[in-house]
Amino acid sequence: MSSQKNTTTGRALSMASMGADIAGSYVGYLLQRVFLGEAKSKIKLKSTHVRAARRMADEMQALRGPAMKLGQMLSLQTGVLPDEILAELATLQMEAPGMHPSLVRVQIKGSLGREPEEIFKQFTAEPFAAASLGQVHHAITREGQRVAVKIQYPGIRRAIENDFSLFRTFSKPAQASGHIPKSAINEIEEQIVAETDYLREADNIEFLTDRLAPLSFVKVPRVFREYSSDKVLTMSLMTGRHLEDFLAQRPSQKLRDQLGAHLFELFHFQVYKVEALHADPHWGNYLFNDDAGISLVDFGCVKYLSPEAADYLRRVCLYPGSTSSADFRELLEAYYEQAGEKLLPGARRALIGFAENFYRKVYPPKPVKDQLFDFGDAVFLRDFLQESKNLFRTKGVITEFIFMGRAEMGLYQTLHRLKARVPTSQIVKKYV
Amino acid sequence: MKPPAGRRAQNKAAIRKRIVTAALSLFQTKGFDATTTKAIARKAGIAEGTVFNYFRTKEDIALHFFEQEVDQAIVSVRENPRLRKAPLEEKLFALVHSQLEFLAPYERFIGAAFIHALKPASPLGIFSHRAQELRHRYVGFVQELLDESLPKNQYSPLSFLAPEVFWIYYLGALLYWLHDSSPGKQNTLAFLDRSLAIGVSVLKQGKR
Repeated sequence: MSSQKNTTTGRALSMASMGADIAGSYVGYLLQRVFLGEAKSKIKLKSTHVRAARRMADEMQALRGPAMKLGQMLSLQTGVLPDEILAELATLQMEAPGMHPSLVRVQIKGSLGREPEEIFKQFTAEPFAAASLGQVHHAITREGQRVAVKIQYPGIRRAIENDFSLFRTFSKPAQASGHIPKSAINEIEEQIVAETDYLREADNIEFLTDRLAPLSFVKVPRVFREYSSDKVLTMSLMTGRHLEDFLAQRPSQKLRDQLGAHLFELFHFQVYKVEALHADPHWGNYLFNDDAGISLVDFGCVKYLSPEAADYLRRVCLYPGSTSSADFRELLEAYYEQAGEKLLPGARRALIGFAENFYRKVYPPKPVKDQLFDFGDAVFLRDFLQESKNLFRTKGVITEFIFMGRAEMGLYQTLHRLKARVPTSQIVKKYV
Repeated sequence: MKPPAGRRAQNKAAIRKRIVTAALSLFQTKGFDATTTKAIARKAGIAEGTVFNYFRTKEDIALHFFEQEVDQAIVSVRENPRLRKAPLEEKLFALVHSQLEFLAPYERFIGAAFIHALKPASPLGIFSHRAQELRHRYVGFVQELLDESLPKNQYSPLSFLAPEVFWIYYLGALLYWLHDSSPGKQNTLAFLDRSLAIGVSVLKQGKR
């Protein structure tokens, strides 16, 4: 406790430097956008009650960065936010400030050494989409291939690191009580900082291209390494529509069921077979096609599971016996022990409750033939959130599952929006 | 026989360029204070007396370099067709970025010159006559950019101060850039982008 940060002056100094450095905070960017951007108009709502709730949601949504992910954890634990909003948070995107064409040009030249026109046959100065930590532009390569060029906002990595160091200071009490374990903060920071390296993302894409090949309905882009760097990522352009646009076309129940089944299968295939998963469930990362194909577009957040975790999940999911049996309890305890955690009685009860009240309903261990689960009914989402909150309150969350849990929440949220009916257990059975 | 006038001007420009290049290389490697006009002449391969035909002192050489910095930045914004319809913050970003790019090869010298410029009696200083002229040119150009970008009567009543304030802002940005140790000076880019966005929005929001 002898570091300079713990003296009053030291703390004041570090806070002052934090405040002075407007370029140094991701949260700062987002707050700034709230104050400068069109978001201002949103705050003019009528009823005080609705206003308070909406403002909270707006603010949470504005904090689309690391703070949001941490905020999600906190609200799960304290129940400050309504469940609906909590579920929506999982599918929000981390966004950096927009870049004007001059800044885009500087970033490309600084990163690839040449002007965009020298690299591509055609480069569109205006972005067509926001991406995690940057924006995406259309371009055509010299060979005539249509590509998406993702460009990172400058200095984002340090901004994120600054936010985390600030958060660590603020959350000391919660860390001390064990409600926000240090390991969880480390895990989130590590994953988010990793997203700032686009070369790592290129590795993720190539890894998943290879490993997802057995799923014919999934399309993964091709990376153009010669036009990529840690801050610029060039990929083939993917087909399909975002969820909102897709639903606006009023797709048939059959198509929605097929897509739901595909999304569901994709998730479980990744967990049990690939032991790694595309863990950013933001809707902008999935494109839906009319042939029920799914195109994946953003691979910044890929969570690689340990063999132990994958093995544990395979054994727990569709567990055939009683969840109150000694055998099931041992299964849980053994996994926590190898992860270096002690499974407290409260957390154990929460896990069994989760299995009983959520997983057994959505994933019946002995399904009748062609039994479908209807994700259109919101009850299952509420159950999932309720049980997740229980698990957080009893400190039963294992660090390794933080990102997977978020991806799972995003999956259910998407299935609910699709109102899909899915043969859940039959699909999982193929892989466990 | 004398060479024709055009040719003579070309020769003069070439020698001037040789002197400036030699001086900058020495300022950068040996330091501004340790560099003598004699050393500059030797490096440029000309007689010391010839140097004096072009520049009275090494400070004059440095000022000439800063004039070039400002002039080329103004030209790069003015003559870039892509910026014609760009918003004000983008034009200002392009201006400052072009200045910093020009200075980048001589970062060490710029750091030393910055300290020099703060001394009231220094000819490089912000109070010297020639430096004032340069500042007027710069501030005048910023005023032009403001006039063409912001509709009349729609911006802050204090905006008449904006071009002068921008000059101070530029010096601040320069200092930030000098101290920026991030790879590729990425933090400076973020700093410029964010601060200009705020600055321009404050200008616009003043009057509603």
